[in-house]
Amino acid sequence: MKLINKNNFFSIVCTTFTIIVCGKLLFEKCIGFVDKNYSDNIFLCLGISVLAIFVLSLHNYLQRFPFVPVAIGQYIVIIGIVLLGVWIMAHFSEVSPSAYRDMFISVTIPYVIGAVVYYISFFVEIKKANKFFSGLE
Amino acid sequence: MKLIKTREENLEENYLELHYEDIDGETAAVLERLRLALKYIEGMADGKKLTFPLSAIFYFESVDRKTFAYTQDTCIEIKETLQGIISEHKDVGFVRISKSSIVNLYKIKRLQGDLNMRTRIFLKNDECLVMNRGYRAEFYEALKKLRGRQKNETDQ
Repeated sequence: MKLINKNNFFSIVCTTFTIIVCGKLLFEKCIGFVDKNYSDNIFLCLGISVLAIFVLSLHNYLQRFPFVPVAIGQYIVIIGIVLLGVWIMAHFSEVSPSAYRDMFISVTIPYVIGAVVYYISFFVEIKKANKFFSGLE
Repeated sequence: MKLIKTREENLEENYLELHYEDIDGETAAVLERLRLALKYIEGMADGKKLTFPLSAIFYFESVDRKTFAYTQDTCIEIKETLQGIISEHKDVGFVRISKSSIVNLYKIKRLQGDLNMRTRIFLKNDECLVMNRGYRAEFYEALKKLRGRQKNETDQ
């Protein structure tokens, strides 16, 4: 089943972008942080949302390949493009000295959480199904 | 209409027997539901024509554009395509698990996941099939329906 298709691609991007921006604003409000590069970061969030949804939409085409190499490959593509984007941005505007580390953390943490949840749900589904099959016998 | 269940020891195969004077609407509805489950499938093995009830089929597999049906201990070549089997018999527990195979949910003993998120399906005849990740959603959807049906039957 293809969850992300060309009809819902942009609505998923918009939803993701909204959640990320709301999360960012809420977090900044909580810690009293003022973002000096507010507009740059908002566009960066949009870029990352488009990229992440695009890479995830490819997942359906990669179902016949083993999960671990696919997940690692997708992560490398995302982190590679994000870090490349930061490197390109550094040529046109000033970036924070911790920009690479911050971006690495911002991409890695949600990705790992997503992958772990996906992985756990796979084994939980199997456990539930086995319970049902043992009841059928 | 009464339902009498009798447990018998050492029975080779479960069977249903209907006692009736007239087939009324209620009985006809029950028979209609059973008709799907008790369908037969015809195939060839060693040059001989064999017929098996659908409920005896463990899984179907397509090899070199030929379709085979596997029972507990027999394999027959059938005329139907996998697509045809799914569209006709998905209501009686058959679900696609890969591009080349369809499994009977009632014949599954247990599932086992591996690190690469492929699901190994162990059947009651101790054969093992592999389900691709791409067919996971379809498989669990069919299982959910079956669970619902089983629950309804238990409630009745």
